[in-house]
Amino acid sequence: MSADDVAVRVDTEVCIAGGQCELLAPDIFEIDDDEVVAVVRGDGRLPRNVALEVIDRCPSGAISIVGGSDHIPASGP
Amino acid sequence: MSPVEVDLRDARTFDRGIPHEAFARMRAASGLHRTPDDLRHGRGFWSVTRLADVVEVSRDPGTYSSEVGHIQMYDIDEDCLSARASMIDLDPPVHTRLRRLVSSAFTPRHVQGYRSAIRRRVRRQLDRIEVAGDGDWVTEVAAPIPIGVICDLMGVPEQDHDHLVELSDHLVAGTSSEPLPPDAYGNTTELRLLPFNSPAASAMSAYADRLAGRLRDEPGDDLSTQLLHAEIDGERLSPAEFANFFRLMIFAGNETTRSAMAHLALHHAAFPAAFGRVAGDRTLLGGLAEEIVRYSSPILYFRRTVTRHVELGGTPLAPGDKVVMWYAAANFDERAFDAPLEFRPDRPTTPTHSAFGGGGAHFCLGASLARLELVELLDEMFDRGLRLTVGEPSYVDSNFVNGIEHLPVRVDRDRRRPTTTNESTR
Ligand code: HEM
Ligand code: SF4
Repeated sequence: MSADDVAVRVDTEVCIAGGQCELLAPDIFEIDDDEVVAVVRGDGRLPRNVALEVIDRCPSGAISIVGGSDHIPASGP
Repeated sequence: MSPVEVDLRDARTFDRGIPHEAFARMRAASGLHRTPDDLRHGRGFWSVTRLADVVEVSRDPGTYSSEVGHIQMYDIDEDCLSARASMIDLDPPVHTRLRRLVSSAFTPRHVQGYRSAIRRRVRRQLDRIEVAGDGDWVTEVAAPIPIGVICDLMGVPEQDHDHLVELSDHLVAGTSSEPLPPDAYGNTTELRLLPFNSPAASAMSAYADRLAGRLRDEPGDDLSTQLLHAEIDGERLSPAEFANFFRLMIFAGNETTRSAMAHLALHHAAFPAAFGRVAGDRTLLGGLAEEIVRYSSPILYFRRTVTRHVELGGTPLAPGDKVVMWYAAANFDERAFDAPLEFRPDRPTTPTHSAFGGGGAHFCLGASLARLELVELLDEMFDRGLRLTVGEPSYVDSNFVNGIEHLPVRVDRDRRRPTTTNESTR
């Protein structure tokens, strides 16, 4: 874990369970079979650059950095 | 001199593929492009052609609704909207509840489980066209693979696949200049109540009813069974809701992927260097599949309806305004893609193209499945060292899909490669 790690959260009202996050960071994200949404494992900490990539690739915009500004501007879907 | 305006309502504008020059002019102009009201087609609409604007609309279903108006550019009556509705025509939270009934089957990890079944279908179709030496790439390869995959998922037996391909083709024909006669397939429902105004839609619903009857008696290990038994707030889907869901899955999983696979053959012939590079470095397969989808943009547009006063791309919009997102334009946005008309399997993963939608609640449910189908087809073609010589494609008559109806090809193998024995047909 490094100083540049950040913690992420998933808004389960918004998540569409496409699983892109699980694909990119399987240690942190998991699709919960019962709830059919992504859930964060453990403390949800991961390197900032990985977090930004996952946020960018999440089609629904459900993932955000805890304590970060509410809206991370995404450069694409 | 201003160049001649293209008519985005007219399917003929798309009869040789995406009108790149017209879209480039719209992207460069300030504000959104306007197609005016007209007596025959009714209210006009705004065209969104820049990627950032498509993303903004897609991610804000509260402002840009899929439910209050139609998701095609023409308008339909209120009662038709509800009669036809499936999740693609609904907003959260109802949309979300429906989508979660099926979404776990389409996660990137879950679809890996379909890999070997997809590969078997790919091999079977390639064997057939290779033995013949030539044929129609669409009928022999691009159509049967996706319909086979989605029908397996939905519990449709093999002998009915061709029937569903035919119906699905006719649905698209509902967006063309020469639709089916109203009484086709013994249809008695008013056309305006049917998706794509097509009699084939009622035939597909009738099929869904029969399938549901069978699966209620003999449940299978498939998504239709899962849907028929699922409960939302303690209630099962009604027969009409199931039929609409079924129709959406068959149409969405079939027509789009087929069209990407047809374009794949055209790209294979047009960009031999790019394909050759990936044949030698299969780590680029995913990037190649993604570039084929961007470059072909199988769904040209979807529409949303504005619910409040808002500004988009420099144009003020009012409630009730129609906003048409041209994925086929946004995917060639110079602001987002370096040299957009070049075909490059090694483009950076972000920004992502919008061929599967611009993100948000409706982002293509089947994106991971479609990618896998394309990757398996490409990988097998490269293993075999297939060489395609393509003839003249005929495009589907539509301004909604960038489909290819027929594509004559000659198939042979690159002689520099060792010939591997064909897997026998299983
Ligand atoms: C290359 C192939 C494909 C393309 C280009 C494509 C494209 C699209 C697009 C543009 C949308 C609308 C996105 C939006 O409104 O934001 C969509 C939605 C959808 N797609 Fe795909 N699709 C493809 C393959 C598939 C497959 C294989 C399936 C199989 C199940 C599928 C199922 C769906 C469904 C069910 C929706 C509606 C999702 C919703 O409303 O929540 N698609 N697709
Ligand atoms: S990528 Fe986004 S929408 Fe998809 S499962 Fe993860 S959090 Fe949910």
